[in-house]
Amino acid sequence: MPKASDRPLEMEVRHQGPAAVICVHGSAGMHDADRMRIAMEDLTTQGAAPIVLDMSDLEFICSAGLGAIIAGYLRSRHYGGDVRLVNPQHAVKKVLETTRLTKLFSIFPTVDSALASS
Amino acid sequence: MIDPGCGREVFRFRRDSPQLLTVLISDEAIVHTLDIPSELPAAREAELRVLDELKKHTYDETATFAVKLALEESLNNAIKHGNGYDPSKKIRVEFDVDSRRVAITVTDEGGGFDPASIPDPRTDENLEKPSGRGIMLIKAYMDDVRFNERGNQVHMVKRNR
Repeated sequence: MPKASDRPLEMEVRHQGPAAVICVHGSAGMHDADRMRIAMEDLTTQGAAPIVLDMSDLEFICSAGLGAIIAGYLRSRHYGGDVRLVNPQHAVKKVLETTRLTKLFSIFPTVDSALASS
Repeated sequence: MIDPGCGREVFRFRRDSPQLLTVLISDEAIVHTLDIPSELPAAREAELRVLDELKKHTYDETATFAVKLALEESLNNAIKHGNGYDPSKKIRVEFDVDSRRVAITVTDEGGGFDPASIPDPRTDENLEKPSGRGIMLIKAYMDDVRFNERGNQVHMVKRNR
């Protein structure tokens, strides 16, 4: 069952070759969305490509969180990169489907498959 | 504190905390009114109070997610578009929860807008826009959504399955 999480957003970043993997935990709501946007944009500006967003432990997202991901994607594209989403939970995936953002972002089952994709 | 004149239970909080007015209208339904400044921390507190009420009833996590999402969207719109991030402007959150449904009304002090004028964010030309999805998500996740004529108030209902 999906969870309506109230855990604040936490992010862990690791680099794997030219790629950056951001593991997001908790809730990407309006209070925390800007932090996620800044993290993604900064990594892109620093040259990370692609940006892989591991959503396995992300329990909630709203339009502000989606906007942060899109802003990161636009910055990444400007620098010739890409943003790939990994393993969103059922409720988060439903938000992505409802907003039709599954047309914009590739969704992978694992971080490894996202990194391996060309 | 019970008002002996009408049998209503009324709670008032200190001036420096968000004002909460609670009115008991039946054995099950209690209408809460919360006036908050147009700031994210206050919006978060209002959101938590609504979700706390939900926990007292048998709403599943799918319904709770939907209510949380609709609250985030409506409060964010009220802060950003309705009240222009002005913390001196208030947002009124009214909510009542019973075993059958939860009803929430969010009102800002802005001039309002026409919900029909919001472009569909799901079209190809709008997909890459970072904003503009709030109203669509509220309508998709809540069972009943109505705006007042002025456009500064949204009333949302989610039924318990």
